[in-house]
Amino acid sequence: MEAVKKLCKSLVQPLLAVAIGLLTGAVVISAVGESILDTYQQMWKGAFGSFYFFASTLARSTPIMLIGLGLSLAFRAGVFNLGAEGQMVLGAVGATLVGLYLPGPGLVKMLAALATGVAVGGLWSLLAGYMEAKFRVQLLITTLLLNYIAVLFAGYLVSEPFQDKSGSAALAQTAMLEKSVWLPKLFAGMSVHAGFLLALAAALALFWVVRFTPFGYEVKMLGHNPFFARYGGIDKDRVMLVAMFASGGLAGLAGTVEVLGAHYRYVDGALTVPGYAWTGLMATLLANSHPIGVVFTSILLAALQTGAMGVERNTEVPLELASVIQAVLILFISAKFSHDWWKNRKSKRRESHGVV
Amino acid sequence: MELFDGALVSSTIRMVTPILLAALGGALCARVGIFNVGLEGLVLVGAFSAIVGNHFTGSLPLAVLFAAAVTVLFSLLFAYMTIGLKANEIIVGVAINFLALGLTTFALRAVFGVKGAFYDKDMAGLPQWQIPLVTDIPVLGDILSGHSPLVYAAFLAAVLLHLFFAHTVTGFRVLAAGMNPVAARSLGLKVTRLQVLAIALCGVLCGMAGAQLSLGQVTMFTEGMTAGRGFIALVAMMLGQSHPLGILASSLLFGLMDALSIRLQGFSLPTQFTAMLPYVLTIAAMFFLKDRGAAASTASQQSAR
Repeated sequence: MEAVKKLCKSLVQPLLAVAIGLLTGAVVISAVGESILDTYQQMWKGAFGSFYFFASTLARSTPIMLIGLGLSLAFRAGVFNLGAEGQMVLGAVGATLVGLYLPGPGLVKMLAALATGVAVGGLWSLLAGYMEAKFRVQLLITTLLLNYIAVLFAGYLVSEPFQDKSGSAALAQTAMLEKSVWLPKLFAGMSVHAGFLLALAAALALFWVVRFTPFGYEVKMLGHNPFFARYGGIDKDRVMLVAMFASGGLAGLAGTVEVLGAHYRYVDGALTVPGYAWTGLMATLLANSHPIGVVFTSILLAALQTGAMGVERNTEVPLELASVIQAVLILFISAKFSHDWWKNRKSKRRESHGVV
Repeated sequence: MELFDGALVSSTIRMVTPILLAALGGALCARVGIFNVGLEGLVLVGAFSAIVGNHFTGSLPLAVLFAAAVTVLFSLLFAYMTIGLKANEIIVGVAINFLALGLTTFALRAVFGVKGAFYDKDMAGLPQWQIPLVTDIPVLGDILSGHSPLVYAAFLAAVLLHLFFAHTVTGFRVLAAGMNPVAARSLGLKVTRLQVLAIALCGVLCGMAGAQLSLGQVTMFTEGMTAGRGFIALVAMMLGQSHPLGILASSLLFGLMDALSIRLQGFSLPTQFTAMLPYVLTIAAMFFLKDRGAAASTASQQSAR
């Protein structure tokens, strides 16, 4: 009973946030003179209307989920990693090159590509962590800066040395991967691919780590109270570095499964334009850094986006409906932080007065 | 085709203006201890409202004023969330960016009834000021003269902001509020009021940046036309150590690299590395200089869970 109550309580806030987001959406829809009900109907259809659309929503949620999971671990440790975009892009480009140029059977190449994606993304992220641990250069800022360097470098790789020269148009992209390296689709003709299962597995694994391992406990302590953690003998830098590697690795994996499961080549801008990194950040925030929660929030945000695409196809309402709703969701949720903080402060004060 | 000439410097100055204005705004926030990731969104709002103001009033000064006013409103939302509700400033900044992108797109449909971009060939852009006498100097004339008033305003703003911080009492108080809010408060300073003031001023500067973007070189608005300039401004702010004159220099560096990249395309050289240089330099600079403004945000990192 207690558990059910707790679950309900944890659900109230996100549901309220969604309701307020949709309400704001309704205001802007009516501002452009469209029918609110009709627009939301189209949105629902675009996200869940048929099995095909539902599969597209799941496919879109895959990279968001992986990035969100990585960030949830970093945030839990109190590390503000804003570099998911660069980690994702470098992981993807590294994996693509391995998939293209490593000799061997398809399965080996695929696994090697996945491992490379994780390793490259993780190491890139670790670089920022190392600079923070060793030189006290602020991680928040370096991760943001490393994004630009990573995206530009990946852009250079695919527009100069590894560009696909076979086609007539000189697009900034690599050659196509051969079929044996592709991640299989889960259903024939649908866009959701095996990367989605990887993301689910990652969510379960992360849940297990956070909940049942000593490392998870250390992360939690460090995030809640770094001074107590240090007092308790937790090596702050070690935990931070591991958290950074894991979050970067998951971001790299996000880019990799997009390449191996959807694009089959690295196309410059294909990963950055949809804004997966920022959406992943939002998914984590909405879920309050809970791994299982991230699964649901990333599907929710992906549904908002695919739904908005449906809206744009069939009505006069622009795609950015999703941006408005997402922004309001986040503003509402972030205000909640302070609400909790306020409540805690009040209850603490009461305790110290011995009233309770 | 030469790599360096007067036209390159002139185009650098034009490209740099929105970045410089937004970076100065960001510096104001950083100096009161708030890391404003929402610059991108604020500039976008400024760009859109400048076009709206111009369309309905037909007067350029009023258009710029309108842009500044609307952007201030938006920045006050940021202030309310971060200071009033104590929400994490980075999260609010990210949300502001999304909100600005979404709302400007919707407003574009609601006000002008168009999708993607609004362009009116009868609409006048900001005038190009030909400064008498200066125009006639051989090389310098082309560089210094013939820019929009906002370009001169941007450079003036950098100098004024420096004087404000270095030589006025209020400027000192703003710095004190950012360095140690608790100590400042104990001295009787109205820290919250100073912070809100700084954020509102940041809104004014970002509004001007947006106006320069949409009314400066071209007279149009396109969805998401800031294209990352707000984030570049953020980086310029860090490289400039939140010091107005430092920001002036770092913004010029970014502008130069931008203009140079366009030039280099003519030589078919990879432009990615020149574009990368300012970011690498910023990281390198961070090893030697600790940003005073951003130092305050370390504390808030912990509340980010």
